[in-house]
Amino acid sequence: MTRLLRGTAIPLLLIISWEIFSRTGSLPMDTFSRPSAIVAAGASGLADGSLLTATWQTFEAALTGFAIAAVLGIFFGVVLGLAPRLEAIVGPSIDALRPIPAVALIPLTLLLFGFGLKMEASVIAFACLWPILIVTVVAVRGIEPRLLEVSNALELSFAARMRKIILPAALGRITVGLRVAIGISLVVAVTVEIVLNPRGLGYTMIVAQQQLRSDLMYAQLVWLGLLGWGINALLERAVSRWPGAGVPGSDA
Amino acid sequence: MPVQMKEDRAVQAAPARGAAVPAVSVRGVSMAFGAERKGPEVLADISFDVSEGEFLCIVGPSGCGKTTLLRLLSGLIRPTAGEIHFHGQRVSGTSRDRAIIFQDYSKALLPWRTVAGNISLSLEACGVPAPERSGRIRALLAKMGLSHTARHYPNQLSGGMQQRVQIARCLAQQPKLLLMDEPFGALDALTRQKLQDEVARIAGEQRTTVVFITHDLEEAIYLGDRVIALASNPGRIAEMVEVGIARPRNQLETREDERFLAHRHHLFGLLQDASFSP
Amino acid sequence: MRRLLGSPALGAAVFAAGLLLAWQVLVDQKLISPVFFPSPSRTLEELWDQVASGRLWDPLAATTLRMFYGFALASLLGVVLGAAIGSSRTAREFLAPLLELMRPLPASAIIPPAILFFGLSAKMATIVIAFGAIWPVLLASVHGFANVERLLQDLCAALRLSRRDYLLKVAFPSALPDILAGARVSLAIALILAVVTEMQASQPGLGQNILLAQRTYRSPELYAGVVTLGILGFLINRLLLLIERRVLRWQAAQQ
Repeated sequence: MTRLLRGTAIPLLLIISWEIFSRTGSLPMDTFSRPSAIVAAGASGLADGSLLTATWQTFEAALTGFAIAAVLGIFFGVVLGLAPRLEAIVGPSIDALRPIPAVALIPLTLLLFGFGLKMEASVIAFACLWPILIVTVVAVRGIEPRLLEVSNALELSFAARMRKIILPAALGRITVGLRVAIGISLVVAVTVEIVLNPRGLGYTMIVAQQQLRSDLMYAQLVWLGLLGWGINALLERAVSRWPGAGVPGSDA
Repeated sequence: MPVQMKEDRAVQAAPARGAAVPAVSVRGVSMAFGAERKGPEVLADISFDVSEGEFLCIVGPSGCGKTTLLRLLSGLIRPTAGEIHFHGQRVSGTSRDRAIIFQDYSKALLPWRTVAGNISLSLEACGVPAPERSGRIRALLAKMGLSHTARHYPNQLSGGMQQRVQIARCLAQQPKLLLMDEPFGALDALTRQKLQDEVARIAGEQRTTVVFITHDLEEAIYLGDRVIALASNPGRIAEMVEVGIARPRNQLETREDERFLAHRHHLFGLLQDASFSP
Repeated sequence: MRRLLGSPALGAAVFAAGLLLAWQVLVDQKLISPVFFPSPSRTLEELWDQVASGRLWDPLAATTLRMFYGFALASLLGVVLGAAIGSSRTAREFLAPLLELMRPLPASAIIPPAILFFGLSAKMATIVIAFGAIWPVLLASVHGFANVERLLQDLCAALRLSRRDYLLKVAFPSALPDILAGARVSLAIALILAVVTEMQASQPGLGQNILLAQRTYRSPELYAGVVTLGILGFLINRLLLLIERRVLRWQAAQQ
């Protein structure tokens, strides 16, 4: 109980002193705003749906990019994981592309697609692809060899093998990569929106800043923080329910 | 130069016998853990003395509170009841005069420092100036047979060697009291015997007072001037025995000595009962 | 000779060359537009030109320095604060929820408030980079200092080591593996934020260059810039790995 109290003590103190100093005029409204105004702005943003629309736009981009990365990453990850010779040939090219910061692709995708969902989703897909791909390769490599022998003996088709043996066996580790990628997708989405894409939460924050609506801007920031924290918490709970997930892998 | 203890006031505890002040004096010590120390007692009303230069072995089944007792003697923890006195002064914290050797040597050595570096830590703590340190380290390495490992890291050494490093580090403190917590429990029989003899020799040479904890009855009788057998649940003294075998001892003959066997028989039964008693 | 022919290194090189060749052919045959996908030869030409004429070094230096200053500031603060928080149970109890709340926040989200306070300036960039980069190394530091091996703490108590000596000689080296792992993430974030703030605030550097190249449809310059950033990212990661290996060489030493 004391632990809970102690943990909330400093945040509460900060918020209260923030409010007080703002009202006495020591903290200028247009840069600092104040907690009461921020809550009000947040409430009205939720009420008129603007916050939720922006949130949905961000999610849409993040999920699209993540989905593309997941499909490509898992597919190629399985292929490369099962064929180490192939991985040795393709690997260095992957290693050459990986260090490129995803944000460096923003002008590139802007050139190709213009503003909007497509460019944002492409940047996100690039950022999410590598963790998923690498984790999948490692996960597939770590599958108990006897399981693979069984799938060979049963003469299953590639699709059936994927579905019945490989994916279930490697799933535990792959979900770890997927979890990391989801976190990345949200962060990259907001970043692209802040830099130049006119949609989503990041964009609304920049607009609020340009309009000197600090209360709205901070409200969106807090909302973003809550979203990030909530998604994290959800993911951790989902992971603990998944059979075999979170366990260091199904390797021998 | 051995480090003097900070409080040098002459606060004397009344010695049990009229003569010299015992090195260690334990009176009515009890220890309970848990919230506000109201949990089950790990040790109950322990009292004993250790004379200057004595090699005392404490033996008992697992969980009888031996390690707790050692930590109390070192000053790392404080008893729930009773007092501990060291050279007449109350133990209220740790002191460099009391060196403690842990059982888990791999976790008690600094993995990022070499063997020499680990020994240096003690010297640094004692305020030995840098130019003097290398000479002292070299001497200690030679004494413990570690000269060729000076530049190695602990994880490159065998268990026995790592334990030797820990002993060397403790000796660097020039302690008046050596506390050893089942130091050889994780080692193979051969290494164990070698180190037993080494510790006995070193303790004899320096005339250091030693409190040695073990669950190995034969080790206790072999090494000790006196053996205290602890019962468990809660930990309390079941028996105190004077070993009475002359030094130097050796692994072959001493273990066949009739007194050795007599003590062994006597304490064996006690320990069996002790480990089953509630 | 046969081993060289069959070696995976050769296969990898052939594969990479093959991809580039295919791209080159597609552009030369006008199957894909050179405006959006400049040929590798054109990109390489542009890159070489930048290097030869010296045009590359100023923006490269600007981005690297910006990233590095922010990273250095973040690391220093991160380790010092991490030491203070990690080694004190009271501090951890008071600050843990606050730290946990900051963990999932995207670093770039601090940009709009930063612009509000500092405008579109170099100062804004440094602050954003430092603020964004501090979290991984701070959290790793807290973890490292909070998890010093119990026996080592006992040892320091038994030796009556001063608090300062404990922190410098035992806690810090013990936490170093964690700190370095966090530092690697922090450096990556610093690079990302350097590029982002350059784009945002029109600060000179590689980020601004590729954005300008996009606006003027100078795609070879754009691609060359992306390649440069990739190489930069690769080099700094390698550098940190090398430092890590040297500092933590005791970990590798096995019997």
